[in-house]
Amino acid sequence: MALQPPSPQSNVPRNDVSNVVDAMLLDSAVKWIGIVYEEKVGGVDRFTVTPYVVDPTT
Amino acid sequence: MMSRALIFLLAMGMLSGCATQKMSGDQLARVAKDWSLSIRASQVIPVYPLTEDLQPGDVFLVQTPVEEQVKVYLAKGFLPLENLLTRLSPAGYARFYRGWPQIADGDNAPPRPWQFPGSDSPDGGYSRAPLAAFPTYNFSVSRSEGLNVAIPVQGVPVGLNLLDSASANGTITLKDAFTYALPARTMYDAIHQWCRDNAEYLTQYEPTESSADGKRTANKFYLRVINRVYLVKTVDVSLFSNRGFGAGGSAGVPQPVQLLNIANATEAAKQFAAVNDILSNAISPATKNATAPVGATDDAAPLPVAVGGTVKLAMATSRSVSLVETFRRPLAIGYLASDYAIEARGKCASPVPTLGVLEGHGATAGKTIEYMGCDENCARIRPWIKQGTNPQKLQTWLEKNGGAIAIADLLTGDYAGLRQRVVTELIEAP
Repeated sequence: MALQPPSPQSNVPRNDVSNVVDAMLLDSAVKWIGIVYEEKVGGVDRFTVTPYVVDPTT
Repeated sequence: MMSRALIFLLAMGMLSGCATQKMSGDQLARVAKDWSLSIRASQVIPVYPLTEDLQPGDVFLVQTPVEEQVKVYLAKGFLPLENLLTRLSPAGYARFYRGWPQIADGDNAPPRPWQFPGSDSPDGGYSRAPLAAFPTYNFSVSRSEGLNVAIPVQGVPVGLNLLDSASANGTITLKDAFTYALPARTMYDAIHQWCRDNAEYLTQYEPTESSADGKRTANKFYLRVINRVYLVKTVDVSLFSNRGFGAGGSAGVPQPVQLLNIANATEAAKQFAAVNDILSNAISPATKNATAPVGATDDAAPLPVAVGGTVKLAMATSRSVSLVETFRRPLAIGYLASDYAIEARGKCASPVPTLGVLEGHGATAGKTIEYMGCDENCARIRPWIKQGTNPQKLQTWLEKNGGAIAIADLLTGDYAGLRQRVVTELIEAP
């Protein structure tokens, strides 16, 4: 049984986006990562990090 | 004699509209599906019925779960646009279409300057809108199926009756196609701002779990935000008869093709004019009033056969006819959009392209989880997992003990207990 694909994560602080992306890419099926700015909370930029297995722009 | 046959022929053509109205629910559904499948082939989500009143920024509330959406989409060919919640008016057209004539934000944002051009734009209208092009679609049509043609335009049934053929193959060409959009990023900002402003309202659409006794099913709502629309003003329909004439043509009455055959008829031009005259005047008083354009006068363009359109005969031979249907103003035939799941406390989730979801190209997992931070155990797992075969060990362990959740979810999701066990059983135990 393979692991489930990683879920999109919201509220990710700027300084941890790279680690979250790194962990998502441990799943070899993940080919694209979307990083979208959400808002600034307590002076820290927050992002939503979304993994995709197929090019989401097509 | 010829004129009587001509009137009979065209009366049949007009009756096709009545036949269409009387189609059963199944037949109507098939019309919608077949048409939608054609549009879908162009990577556009079809609109059915065609409408002028759809534009970027329209936000629909849809309840159908993603999995169910796919079923509905495959079954019907299009997605019902259920409840129009709001129409966002984000600024951004002027910047997105920088240097493009007549494109501005505010009250003059597209499509208004194209829909209702002022006197200062002599070549106004949609002539300045961004162009689009669609491939030619082929279809088959049979009178035995009750004129159940797969195109929601009037040209096909009219053409079939002009051919007086029991069945025909045809092509439909969407001409004068236009498109305009706002970038997804602009929409993202606008919809998230709207979600924040309306969080209290959206809480009523929070996801709910199904009850253990099965009496209450799980519910999840989405906001579908349109960011691009495709419009078409002119539709060309060409029909090629599969057989000759319908059986039992009466002796002495000229067959329809003879009436329209340029090669054989010396008065072809008159016949064409007569046909087009009847087509353009075939309208009920109710429809006439309903379709009168803004500011139209009595001597305006010919009145339409169907709501919003005029049909004209363009060409006819012994085995084919071509008709041109022109809508009074371009109608939206398809769109592109993004779906935002409504999460707890009325928060809007990250966007997923609607078409991507429908075609199976969505995000790897539907539900967005909240980043919970990297706690002490997460901080120990991160360096450990980069060593040797530890990723495989963790994967195997998660498959057995962790419900096969993804490693990324384990590290920063709401799984503190599971992270503790990983540290204890995998990192410290050996």
